[in-house]
Amino acid sequence: MRTRLTLLMLVAAATIGCAAVPQNRRARLADPMMSLDDEPLEAHRRQKLYDSREGAAGGDGMASGGGCGCQ
Amino acid sequence: MRAWPFVILVMVCGVPSRAVGDDSTALISDSDVLGRDTLRLRVQAVTTRLSAYDQYGTGYQSKAGPILGPGSERLTVLQPQAEIVMTQGDKVTHRVWIPIDIITAASPNSWHPVADVVSGASRKTEAGTLQWTTTYRADALTHVSATHGLHLENPFRSWNAGLSFQRAFADQNTVVSAGLVGIFDWFDRFYVTGARNGRTQRSSTMGSLGLTQVLTPTTVVNVNYGLTAQLGELGNTWNAVPLANGERGPELLPSERIRHAIVGRMAQFLPWNGALRLHYRLYSDDWGILAHSIEGRLMQRLTPRLYVGALYRFHTQTSPRFFTTRAPVDAPLRVADSDLARLDSHTIGAKLVGDTWVSGMAQALHYEVGYDRYFRTNDLRIDVFTCSLGLVF
Repeated sequence: MRTRLTLLMLVAAATIGCAAVPQNRRARLADPMMSLDDEPLEAHRRQKLYDSREGAAGGDGMASGGGCGCQ
Repeated sequence: MRAWPFVILVMVCGVPSRAVGDDSTALISDSDVLGRDTLRLRVQAVTTRLSAYDQYGTGYQSKAGPILGPGSERLTVLQPQAEIVMTQGDKVTHRVWIPIDIITAASPNSWHPVADVVSGASRKTEAGTLQWTTTYRADALTHVSATHGLHLENPFRSWNAGLSFQRAFADQNTVVSAGLVGIFDWFDRFYVTGARNGRTQRSSTMGSLGLTQVLTPTTVVNVNYGLTAQLGELGNTWNAVPLANGERGPELLPSERIRHAIVGRMAQFLPWNGALRLHYRLYSDDWGILAHSIEGRLMQRLTPRLYVGALYRFHTQTSPRFFTTRAPVDAPLRVADSDLARLDSHTIGAKLVGDTWVSGMAQALHYEVGYDRYFRTNDLRIDVFTCSLGLVF
């Protein structure tokens, strides 16, 4: 567990140190294809599919439980 | 005489500037031009999605088969969802989300005569949720959200509430987020034979920390760590376990579970007007499950308003220490649920997403169609069809 936390801290420190990209150069990032998150209804559909068929739900800030598919 | 042009210039430039600066004498106020800062709700977008699941397979927890299993996991789900996004003034945004599940499953249908609400009503169970999330924009860099929801299902009630915080730094190149969610479930407990055995409950508390970073004009990454603590009845009390004496017994599960997950995500814009998204998730819990999930998506824009996407996901997990498909009668903990077995799963999918301008009240129509095929190494296959329509106002 300590190793994972250390890894997370290193990734955080490394990325915070990156040079800032000006807002007028972020047009590509605004493309819907580049969204890190799915559209909310699609995200729920996928989360429900995986949460109720696999034993690894939750733990990432997403709700787990709340229905008969409660693995 | 030579000074007149200068005097006229001062008068022309000076009068308007005084009028703007002195609100008490202005004929046109800021609110006349920009609109009043009203608290009236304004609908910004309405989205609907309909998904259909068609599942085949077998599992040892299912009672739709031989006593020592495995039984059928045949199941169909029809899942309509609706979402309304509204603004209230320029600082508050509301999101109201209503998903409904209509489920027909084989295992609850396997007992005759029907003995209880699950085995009877679950021939066709309707489950619904109402989730309301309000986001307050404290300033251009800081968002605070509160959410609460209610889930209703035949033998099941669930309530959740949560708070989240998001703050941007470094000219919005870096975003830090944190969230806390609590879920409380109350549901009927059943004997493995299907008879009702009172009520039971469980609680889940989830905390998460996230960091999103713009790396280049075409690259963004995100890492997220989450912790979930669960207490109470952690099974559905309905699943069966084949026993060494040739009978079925109930699952016996610990009453606590601590789950950890670390997620890393990246999106990279590609020079040929496409995008690559990668997702990795590491999960572990104190039941002994260790899981890795890797997902890649490739998107290609066909026109300025239309793109297609392809997806592949691989998931592998170990089983809990007490997983078995033939348990000793006196085992203190036991579970035979195929969803908790050691397994590998694959998902392949494709979708088409587009927007088109419309006339009238709405500005744009958003549409999407998709198909996913999910299959596991321990005999489970699901076909998922989904389509979505949305209006942006």
